[in-house]
Amino acid sequence: MKLISLLDHLAATPASSAAAPRRDVLAQLGRAAAAALPLALGTLPAAAATNDTPLDALLQLLQLERLQAALYTQGLAATGLIPAGQTADFQRLLAHQNQHVAFLTRTLQDAGSAAPTAPTFDFSGRRNVASNPELFPAVFSNYDNFLALAQQIEDLGVRLYQYQAFNINSDTRLTQAVLRMQSVEAQHSAHVRSLRRGRGATVGTWPSDEDATIVRPAAQALTTAATGGEANVVQFASASTQVPFSTFFLIRDNTAIHDPALAEAFDEPITSAVGQAALNLFS
Amino acid sequence: MSDLSHLPARREPSLGRRLFLQLSAASAASVALAAAGCSPSSTPTPAAASNQIVLPQGNQGLLYYAYFLALAQATTYQKVVDAPPSDFTPVDRAVFDDLRDHAVVHRETLKYLIDPTRATVIFPADFAFNLKSFTLTTRAGALAAAQQLEDLVASAYPVILPLFSSTNIYKRTLLLKMSTVQARHAATVRDLLTPGGFASSAVVDGNGQLITQTPFVVLTALAPFVAPYVLAFTCPDTNSSTDAGLCTANG
Repeated sequence: MKLISLLDHLAATPASSAAAPRRDVLAQLGRAAAAALPLALGTLPAAAATNDTPLDALLQLLQLERLQAALYTQGLAATGLIPAGQTADFQRLLAHQNQHVAFLTRTLQDAGSAAPTAPTFDFSGRRNVASNPELFPAVFSNYDNFLALAQQIEDLGVRLYQYQAFNINSDTRLTQAVLRMQSVEAQHSAHVRSLRRGRGATVGTWPSDEDATIVRPAAQALTTAATGGEANVVQFASASTQVPFSTFFLIRDNTAIHDPALAEAFDEPITSAVGQAALNLFS
Repeated sequence: MSDLSHLPARREPSLGRRLFLQLSAASAASVALAAAGCSPSSTPTPAAASNQIVLPQGNQGLLYYAYFLALAQATTYQKVVDAPPSDFTPVDRAVFDDLRDHAVVHRETLKYLIDPTRATVIFPADFAFNLKSFTLTTRAGALAAAQQLEDLVASAYPVILPLFSSTNIYKRTLLLKMSTVQARHAATVRDLLTPGGFASSAVVDGNGQLITQTPFVVLTALAPFVAPYVLAFTCPDTNSSTDAGLCTANG
């Protein structure tokens, strides 16, 4: 029913020259939705074409942004959690996430697809059922726990954006907007990581083998989505050609690097399925 | 439908325009830069001066452009790593070690993507990223230089990526994987120079989106560092309707 109403909406949109490029873009989004294919499952090579439609991509990114906005809203509301000197940092993080939610919601609405109702997010990992086990203890009473969860959710966000960015291929401007939001998510991750480093955690501002692992035996889906595979040192220049890094880094040429830097220099996308498994821990 | 002038896509060019003018003013005294086809008002012109380096068109030109940015970063950070400012903290030193290493990885990877034999002479032998305009002997100077570079490079990638044709999705994916690392770098040096300086309103717009800069603006800002050479970049698509303004206007 939603698809029919979407197409009706597009057909009913008045044709003015000013609106034409925008409507064309959204019409393409609508057609992509009408041809909706199931979400990609399993582990695709990161560079391979995916089955996620633009609508799938926008809806998943909206869920991600709503989750992030809820985390910072609840964190800022928790008395005594965030030190006074860092309140402004989290107000900025929250403002950006709310702006991303608004942008994605508006984009969906412009395409005639109403944004789904936001779920009630539960950052304990109990998924709103009190008898479920608590996966993330004391998130809103222990600042270190809060920061660790924020880091993982920001890292997850960067990697999910990387996967979805080119699934929104119907509109170059929209693709660029998504890439620009992705860059802001990466700045958020770097900042949250720097806050943790300031409190003594062994962590850099980019995912690294040198980071101390955030151990979550009961919530492996989150750790996998946040940093799983970030140690990857195999990159492809084409389907059959690995980038021959071993020939690049020579002391003779002053191109030698310390080992973890190779993996650090590339963030790694996750599939929508890996991302969704992590998002599902919170609602 | 609502007034389209209130849609973000309609608002952005004016914001980009202001930044463009600020940056242009900042570099007005510097060497003139010819970016054929990328100045909103110019038309493609043939290479005239012998010191002009005309980058190839299409994906290859985008790779050259990204290579140049990595070269600028690697040259700067190598200098800092070789002679760290005496007031550097241990965290500063570790960060610059990583910045240098990441820039080397990116530069060498891009060199390979440009030519798998790595035999192509990308720039003339005496081409160099000249660091004289930077003060790299103090912490504040090194961080200010790094912030200027990282902000520029981070703002360049969301322009490069959509322009890169998908004929080789693997190369584009490598650029995508580098783009967020550039944004991480920018936030890192911003926070080191000014605690809480990450993702500030200087680099993020009212939609929570990173402010981008076109190749023309980026190369103009970096022109003083490569004089007497002049890098000339041609937008892959100079048709403003299909380009959607990505290369020819700031967004």
